[in-house]
Amino acid sequence: MRKMFGYAMLAIAVAISAMGAGHAQDTTDLLSQLEQEVIGDNKSATNYTTATFKTTRLINGHTVENVARGVLDVKISHRFGKLNNGLYELFGLDNATMRMGLDYGITSTLMVGFGRSTHQKTLDAFFKWKILRQSTGKRRMPITLSYVPTVALKTLKFEDPNRKNYFSSRLFFSHQLIIGRKFSEGTSIQLMPTLVHRNLVTYADEPNDILALGIGGRQKISKRVSINAEYYYQHPDYKLRGTTNSLSLGFDIETGGHVFQLHVTNSQGMAERTFITETTGLWEKGDLYFGFNISRVFTVGKRKRG
Amino acid sequence: MCSRFRLFISILFLVAAMPLQAQVFSTNNGKVQFRSDAPLELIRASSDQMKGKLDIGRKLFAFSVPVSTFEGFNNPLQKEHFNENYMESNLHPNATFSGKIIEDIDFSVPGKYTVRAKGNLVVHGVSQERIIKSELTVTPSGCSILSNFTVLLADHQIPIPKVVHEKLASEIKVEVKASLIKP
Repeated sequence: MRKMFGYAMLAIAVAISAMGAGHAQDTTDLLSQLEQEVIGDNKSATNYTTATFKTTRLINGHTVENVARGVLDVKISHRFGKLNNGLYELFGLDNATMRMGLDYGITSTLMVGFGRSTHQKTLDAFFKWKILRQSTGKRRMPITLSYVPTVALKTLKFEDPNRKNYFSSRLFFSHQLIIGRKFSEGTSIQLMPTLVHRNLVTYADEPNDILALGIGGRQKISKRVSINAEYYYQHPDYKLRGTTNSLSLGFDIETGGHVFQLHVTNSQGMAERTFITETTGLWEKGDLYFGFNISRVFTVGKRKRG
Repeated sequence: MCSRFRLFISILFLVAAMPLQAQVFSTNNGKVQFRSDAPLELIRASSDQMKGKLDIGRKLFAFSVPVSTFEGFNNPLQKEHFNENYMESNLHPNATFSGKIIEDIDFSVPGKYTVRAKGNLVVHGVSQERIIKSELTVTPSGCSILSNFTVLLADHQIPIPKVVHEKLASEIKVEVKASLIKP
């Protein structure tokens, strides 16, 4: 009898607890079911990392970012004269070189661009192809990998018009791989191994091909402002005479469709071959150029209806 | 006698342990549209990936939409800024609304009902208690809902920077459309 009583009590206890559970089931239960489904969806879908950098340039060189498909990015960049020119030159503001450029996104992974720099009257063109995209979920990829080949044409008159000059002497090429990763919402770092080729060098013992390794990154200090740094290392025995490594520090300030980049760099040029292989300024001497890039995007391609 | 009693007890156990068989209507492709009508710019975007569940027995509901699935906008950069700067969708991946329907509805009779849904609207990780009017149509296969409401950005701690004051409305119009189907 006692045993039966025990059973009965147990049954009642279970019944009550089940009823209790029924009452406790409220909307959080439905919501958590939805959340479980969403987590399941995320695992079966690939989520690509976005906004690794604010724009397609870090300071002088490229980032892993592309402009989106159908978007035209108008870039206007200035580098003023040397800061150590003093007050007479208003710390370099009296002398400016500039580059005007247009970048266009053909697909989400391929962009093309061209521009003209006043520095040595150079035309340049490039494309940037995103080979790998950082992603989580079904397809997990820790890095973004881009390939950027450029060609530049120096249209400055030949120094010695009397000698036999070749058109090919005006051409410069570079090949760059960019390996980038967005480590957190605010921190992104990239490595940029680069090969620069010139058809004509000034001295016979100078190399036609220069290999350099770049490293750069950004740290956001607010939602719309980040601090950027960029450095290109050249092997000391394998570079042009009198050149040094390019080091640049700057800010990105984003306001809607514009990105303003303000920076200080020891390179005057804004194309790969000039800032990587032809930098002569020394930070310790104050051979620094203040400069800015302005980027403004326009949607010109057909836009998907929302 | 003893074995019969045990049988009775066992049945009692089974009944007690059986979950309440609630009928839950659900959707995986509800549509959420929003519209920011500011003096200088009109921004529209939508997502058709809203998930929803409606427990008709207890009149409970829950809806959830992944913020990063909104498409549209005036340019791709705007979408990036929407996720990165305003909604912070990496921190708050979903916008949700869950609660209880105030009115009693007979889900066995097809027809149109106007109902009030009382619950918590969570946008940008900030929860606001809201009563949202909705048009609910009971159909043989389940029900469909259509709802228009507004969301104040300030209510959900989404600041508007001064430079975009004329381009971003402080009050966002939202429309939700979904067909919830019987299991």
